[in-house]
Amino acid sequence: MTDVKKTVLFEKHAALAGKAQIVPFAGWMMPLWYKSISEEHKAVRTTAGLFDCTHMAVLKIAGKDAMNFLNALITNDVSRLKPGKAQYGYVLDTAGNIIDDVIVYCIADDNFMLVANASNEQKVKDWIVKNQAGQVEVSDLKDASLPDGRVDIALQGPASAQCVKNIFGVDVSGLKSLSFTYGKTKDLDLIISSTGYTGSKISFELFVHPAKASLLWDTILEAGKNLGIIPCGLGSRDSLRIEAGLPLYGHELDGDFNISPFQAGYGWAVKLQKDNFIGKDAIAKKTDYDTEVARLKFDGGKGIRPIRQLDGILDDDGICIGQVLSCAAAGDKQIALALIKKEFNSPGNSVGIYYLARNAGHIQQGRKEKVALGEKLTTDIKGLVIERFEKF
Amino acid sequence: MIPENLFYTKDHEWAQINGDTATIGITDYAQHSLGEITFVELPALKKKLNVHDVAAVVESSKAASDVYSPLAGEVSQVNDELSSQPELINQDCFKAGWLCKLKVSNPDTKHLMTAAQYEEYLKSI
Repeated sequence: MTDVKKTVLFEKHAALAGKAQIVPFAGWMMPLWYKSISEEHKAVRTTAGLFDCTHMAVLKIAGKDAMNFLNALITNDVSRLKPGKAQYGYVLDTAGNIIDDVIVYCIADDNFMLVANASNEQKVKDWIVKNQAGQVEVSDLKDASLPDGRVDIALQGPASAQCVKNIFGVDVSGLKSLSFTYGKTKDLDLIISSTGYTGSKISFELFVHPAKASLLWDTILEAGKNLGIIPCGLGSRDSLRIEAGLPLYGHELDGDFNISPFQAGYGWAVKLQKDNFIGKDAIAKKTDYDTEVARLKFDGGKGIRPIRQLDGILDDDGICIGQVLSCAAAGDKQIALALIKKEFNSPGNSVGIYYLARNAGHIQQGRKEKVALGEKLTTDIKGLVIERFEKF
Repeated sequence: MIPENLFYTKDHEWAQINGDTATIGITDYAQHSLGEITFVELPALKKKLNVHDVAAVVESSKAASDVYSPLAGEVSQVNDELSSQPELINQDCFKAGWLCKLKVSNPDTKHLMTAAQYEEYLKSI
């Protein structure tokens, strides 16, 4: 196993979170939570939360041919990006499988920033090198020796705009989603982007030089004290994105079920009318599908067994129509993202859960370790299909 | 905070032995690792458990964790409070958060750690 790396904010986590709560994730030691997942989840919905996202891949793609290169690399139409705007899209292999889902930021007509998942960083870098064409320079902005280095710190939730204003004097409350601006103090110089992974209408990602990440982290927590802003770990990052319906690579995108952007609800980010992009012919054949990602709501909270990945989704007759991809607690509810037969994916439809065996004892009692579509099972708890996405 | 009078396992269970009865629970380290506990599955009364049989399942939103019996015996009592208040394990794992009691068939504790040994063990992991 390769060495697990520490982010530039590791010392902050070590001071704030217990030893057992800092765990390896995508090759990085990351905090699962500081106080508790539910408190941090609630903070993002009511005040704001601060997340270390400095493990994420941030690449600079610049040069005369950068735009054309990116437009061939990514499924969305990068040629429509203007400076100050960002765009969500996919990097595909030639077979149309997702290598990663990414956000491209247009800094200038010949200078772009690409943010990718930490878990896919090497795959994305290798793919870029393999396909690099024309006058294009690629650099890793997490490299602190670069003068224009950048890492990602996310500030998410209703109080985040006020916090940014208090520190940088910039009014970002009207900043449109997928737009960005700049903020500056004597010591800090950052990109303030109206993006995020929590489903908050008011949410920002702050891209700062790696050497200044600790200062930014401390500055926000200090300025955010009276706004109720708290640091948040991976646990709430996951529960917030699930509650909002946002996909995670390996769960709701690609993964064991090889889920396509169309099944995940992101067909709009695959521009089949574009002249060409890598994987276009292959993915064009995936526009027809039987199962899709649905968002489901169940009772949760005390005394209810948590729903977990691969638990069965049942129709009213107990027939298995899908499986759970991710699930999280949100207040006293559980929100699950599941891959279900698409004819059942209408808000208001009732569905059931079949809990898979959690241990050997359950198997002895006859509980299954896996389920298949069409199987007849008994319903453990009932819930509803809800809208695919939700904003908070 | 590791109570002196209990016995411990490497899987972070504790046992308190009182005559032929052993009370079983999970340690502070275990409850911290799990985070907010929302569901507990307790054993059936009179169930016979061998050492290291699954005595209970404790679940938080992040993980489901089997709790192994530190001793052999028959389940004589379970902590019913936990079905409506599973958070008792987070709040008070060594007392109010106990899981079940066993009528012990073999009170031998040689395979278990003392508080001092468990404290050393925690430092080593």
